[in-house]
Amino acid sequence: MFSYRVSGLAVASEVDLPGLIPGDPDRAPEVTIRNAPVPCALDDAEMVGPTWQRAGDRFLLRVPDIARFLLEDGRSIAFEAENGADPQDVAVFLSGTVFGVLLHQRNQIVLHASAVLVGGRAVLFCGASGAGKSTLAAALGEHGYPLIADDQCAIEIGDDSIPMIQADGRQLRLWEKSISELGLAGRRGDAMRNRLLKFYVQPATASDRPVPIGAVYALTEIRDPEEPGIEQPNIVDATKLLAANAYRPMLIHRFAQRDVYFRGGTTIAATSGIFRLKRRLGFDGLPATIAMLRGHWAQIGLAEAAS
Amino acid sequence: MIPTVWLASYPKSGNTWFRILVANLWSKLDTPIDINQIHSTDSIASGRNPFDRQTLIDSALLTDDEIDRLRPAAYAYAAAGNTLADPDDPCFPVRFVKVHDAYTRNDLGEAVMGGAAGAAGAILFVRDPRDVAASFAHHMRCPIDVAIDRMADADFCFATATDRIDRQFRQRLLSWSGFMRSWLDQRDIPVHLVRYEDLLTDTAATASAALAFAGIAPDPVRLDQAIAFASIGELQRQEAQHGFREAPRDVRGFFRRGVAGGWRDELNPDQIARIERDHGPMMDRLGYDRSTATTEQRL
Repeated sequence: MFSYRVSGLAVASEVDLPGLIPGDPDRAPEVTIRNAPVPCALDDAEMVGPTWQRAGDRFLLRVPDIARFLLEDGRSIAFEAENGADPQDVAVFLSGTVFGVLLHQRNQIVLHASAVLVGGRAVLFCGASGAGKSTLAAALGEHGYPLIADDQCAIEIGDDSIPMIQADGRQLRLWEKSISELGLAGRRGDAMRNRLLKFYVQPATASDRPVPIGAVYALTEIRDPEEPGIEQPNIVDATKLLAANAYRPMLIHRFAQRDVYFRGGTTIAATSGIFRLKRRLGFDGLPATIAMLRGHWAQIGLAEAAS
Repeated sequence: MIPTVWLASYPKSGNTWFRILVANLWSKLDTPIDINQIHSTDSIASGRNPFDRQTLIDSALLTDDEIDRLRPAAYAYAAAGNTLADPDDPCFPVRFVKVHDAYTRNDLGEAVMGGAAGAAGAILFVRDPRDVAASFAHHMRCPIDVAIDRMADADFCFATATDRIDRQFRQRLLSWSGFMRSWLDQRDIPVHLVRYEDLLTDTAATASAALAFAGIAPDPVRLDQAIAFASIGELQRQEAQHGFREAPRDVRGFFRRGVAGGWRDELNPDQIARIERDHGPMMDRLGYDRSTATTEQRL
């Protein structure tokens, strides 16, 4: 068995999962991953999507020609590879997509976001694939802000109403173009799939402890002649913005998580702040975006004013 | 259940104009809608984000061919109303979805657009390829000759970079003629043809016929207002002021001229001859007169 810690959960897996941080093998696992027969359909499915089915606490996800995954009660994942798929390909979907669905199934708030450590707090950057989450986190890493998470951020709101994020310590996942633009070729690891130019990249520094959330930014692309800036939406819009940036927003409805996201959103908006980061997409604008963020962090008390 | 209707076009052929017109038609405001807030029509069919949301899969980790195998099921799922907030109370009478893909099949032999399960029909926008060439060159920031090359290239695709993520999937456009042929000759769903030139000449009648195909009979007064709100002047004004998010990055003037016959002063004789040679039969089929037809016959 392999042991990992994913979004704060102890995971025991029958298969190696590259890109995750090792866990404590002596800790009782909260999630187990095993190679086992998985049906093509659930007999009593009450919801059926193009690639998934739900029947009570069982959730079936199929990535054609890679594998079928059965998630039960947020605690176990069984997978069965299809058509002799490469085990590495199966692992990539297990540690990403499938785990994100599992976090929804566990009724957790999970955002499609990267996160870095600023002044002892987590700063999150949310957005869909291609919005620039990982690239921004990688660029901030080069400015000395340790990586907390890439792609998925699981949030817990404790009894003291302080939103916390579990450090994930995952490696960055960057496309070739980002790696070369950011000059990170020296830390480039394996390709995520052997047919893709997307690679694991070792972050400059990483944080591995749970930290309170300092700010959440939704990445918004603007076009000329709109001006870059940071806006704070009102609490209702902020809550909607948070739900729209869930890892898989549709699952909020499918898993009846509306209340969880609404309550979480209002708490995060009130204690940490939810913002819209408006900037042009592209590598040229990264220094200006980072300067703008530093100014904002000084303003909201996350960091001292930039010298 | 509201029907899904594809708004299919080779680029620069009036698709976005029609979408903005419809958005104004369905708007409750008495001012033009914001061109960056066209919520009344779905975003483009090749968009990555809606696919990831519906399939739950991180499509960035799939190859183009793997994605094409899943697209039919994703489109069928959306056409069945599953992506509407409330399928029993849709905000709009039709789900229009823009498409720049040609009508092709994936490596399993299925129509990528999902056949009859993907949509009830398609409105196909066509424009004189000589006008498309000049506009397409501006859109892609390339010389007109390169645009003409691409319009003749049966393998031409959008979003093919492999070293980065694109917010859209690879789209096979085929050649300009091939694109038209693929939609006109498929037998899965009915197609209504809209010529850009007719939409310019008699916007109300042409738009009404297209809307009737989709099962909509708009109020004539509201339609006239929507046409005025979607005028080229208004679209250019808004783009100059706020930009247009659907435009390619670094392209200013998505709404460029909005005229028919501009090729006469934008293309040189060689370019005109090349387009007419590449696409003559399809131009004939769609009713675009060839200026060099007699010359060719002499040769």
